Amino acid sequence: MKFTCNTKDISAAVGAASKVVNAHTTVPILSNVLLQADDGKIAVRATDLELTFEHAFPADIGEGGSVTIPAKLFSSYLGNLPTGTLELTGTPTRASVKCERSNYDFHALPADEYPPLPAATRGSHFTIAAKKFRDGIDGTIFAASNEEARGAVLMGTLLEIEGDALTMVATDGYRLAKFVTTLDDGITGSEKYIVPSRALAEVSRNLGGGETIAVSALGAQSNQLQITAGNVSITVRLVDGQYPNYQQVIPAKFDRTMTVNTSALIGSLRRAELVAGDRASMVKLAISNQTLVVTANSDISGTAYEELEIEQTGEDLTIAFNARYLVEILNHVKSDKTVVEFLGPLSPAAIRPLEPLESGQQLYVLMPLRQ
Amino acid sequence: MTEFVAHFDVDAFYASVAVRDDPSLRGKPVAIAGRSRRAVVLTASYEARPFGVRSAMPLYKARMACPELVVVAPDMAKYKAVSREIFAVFAARGQAVEGLSMDEAFVDAGHRDFGAACALAADVRRDVLDATGLTVSAGIASGKMIAKIASDACKPNGLLAIPPGDEARFLAPLPVGRLWGIGPKTQRRLTSFGIQTIGDLVALDESQLREFFGAWGAQIRELACGRDARRVEPERETESISTEETFEYDVRDERELVAVLRAQSLELAEKLERENAGARTVGIKIKRGDFSILGRQTHLIEPTRAARAIFRAAVACLRRAQLDGAPVRLLGTRVASLVEGEPLQIGLFSQR
Repeated sequence: MKFTCNTKDISAAVGAASKVVNAHTTVPILSNVLLQADDGKIAVRATDLELTFEHAFPADIGEGGSVTIPAKLFSSYLGNLPTGTLELTGTPTRASVKCERSNYDFHALPADEYPPLPAATRGSHFTIAAKKFRDGIDGTIFAASNEEARGAVLMGTLLEIEGDALTMVATDGYRLAKFVTTLDDGITGSEKYIVPSRALAEVSRNLGGGETIAVSALGAQSNQLQITAGNVSITVRLVDGQYPNYQQVIPAKFDRTMTVNTSALIGSLRRAELVAGDRASMVKLAISNQTLVVTANSDISGTAYEELEIEQTGEDLTIAFNARYLVEILNHVKSDKTVVEFLGPLSPAAIRPLEPLESGQQLYVLMPLRQ
Repeated sequence: MTEFVAHFDVDAFYASVAVRDDPSLRGKPVAIAGRSRRAVVLTASYEARPFGVRSAMPLYKARMACPELVVVAPDMAKYKAVSREIFAVFAARGQAVEGLSMDEAFVDAGHRDFGAACALAADVRRDVLDATGLTVSAGIASGKMIAKIASDACKPNGLLAIPPGDEARFLAPLPVGRLWGIGPKTQRRLTSFGIQTIGDLVALDESQLREFFGAWGAQIRELACGRDARRVEPERETESISTEETFEYDVRDERELVAVLRAQSLELAEKLERENAGARTVGIKIKRGDFSILGRQTHLIEPTRAARAIFRAAVACLRRAQLDGAPVRLLGTRVASLVEGEPLQIGLFSQR
């Protein structure tokens, strides 16, 4: 293969793809990126077998074909090039790069050994505004589990599609994030996908800037999802398993609410948490007389007391939470005021923005601490 | 005036409760044991003991040793109820109580003269008899270990008090194995060097003690001389909770073992709930068909009392044990590193 391209284009594509490469892989070719020349463009691909990332950029193709190059090395090299043009010649064992007056030969591995993309048997297909998908991803995936021990299902984020409605859900078993939005082009019937959350993080980072994102189920059993926007596509193996019945744990009704200034509450919780230390970061919230009192204490650090003005409805309540969980949720509430709904000191609490996002409805559920 | 500790131990607890509630058993050799093929004697009445019937003896052996043995099934609920009455008596005088089991406890006998301490123990013995109809043996001494050895020595229905200053003399003729901290292995080693009694051990010089016990030598001599400063610790914290099952027939099928772990996890979760505690460690115990014992344990990221989390960890331990179809005679699950009174994150999917 042989092509000429802009150094900025190839550097951006290889840089993004190389983030997917697993530094600890034991399969040598998975440390490489694959470059494929095709019809006026070069497609750069990286995979860890679960997640495949492809980023294409325009190039002058002299001769078709493909080459694989060690990802980290190549991306560092490209990152240090000045703006200009670059010429690359690839063989099964070598990639030669010429840029201005520098010449590099990188050891390559045969491209035909690179894992192929899943067969393009298409299943359901939908499109969504990039902003909506990005808000949904950013508002949910943080709540997924990051402990391998709790299983792949909880490490994933649920995408539930019914007609042109999309519901995204992530939970680690203690807190739950839900985002409901609409699709541009929906599907007929309904589908459920459990998507590894890290794949969605890549989608948000690499595909969120465009207009529209297209999502298709791939493979004979629809066990892969391909998410595409512009010249970038991410293909991910779906998590096989049963997602917990999340609807069952979201109370249908609450009997007490408080409406509170979001950033003031975050500030109070962050300060109080410092004192709570390792007692499960426990902060107590006492709601009474249109006032919220946040307290925390530990034998080592001392005591914390914070008072905030709130709008209260329903009876008084004292409830304890892990401050870290609550702060993390509040950080995703993009509204000056937050509404928190309660049922009792040992029941789930619901948290949502007072002014909903335009892109969709956010809802968070958090379990309290038992003191 | 001396600080005294009393040790109380109900005589043949389970068997005594059975005889109390069924007078036709009075004077007969009675054993409390389950019904399974592998049942062991839990308690034997004093009438059964001359035949050689002992706790933990397989029931079939006990029957061979004593053909007239009357076997009564255990009634744990009843024993628990009786135990509560007994402990209410122990605590009635406001002394610190350190329970060791359902029918055995140390009671702080306070700072008083010897006669008053003896009178206190006698009062407790009488009150337990009045309240429950059961006899209790008691030991009184300046330290816990001697109090316990004394109550063992005067069973059944006895009271033995060791006056302050007489501790070493009382201990000297007893076998070294009676000392706390000297197990059967150490005892065998000591015996092989001609050290039979606690008195023999006291006679050793510093360097010999160090040779046998290392840094621990000084402490063991203190104990052997009857100097034991440990006080009664009320409400001693539960360190672990466990449950186990001996199978009627050896089990090779992993699915069956997993089912047992599931049931045991539920049981432990309920116990943790009652204790208002969470566990950071989950372990399993396996006794193979050849009686060899194997243990595996795992530490959790955060304390839990959820049956599901305990079960998941127990199954992981079982997989790690790599039984490969080897026959299993007994399977048990244990939770430890208990966290009490600490705030506990409630799970979304494990709400009650």
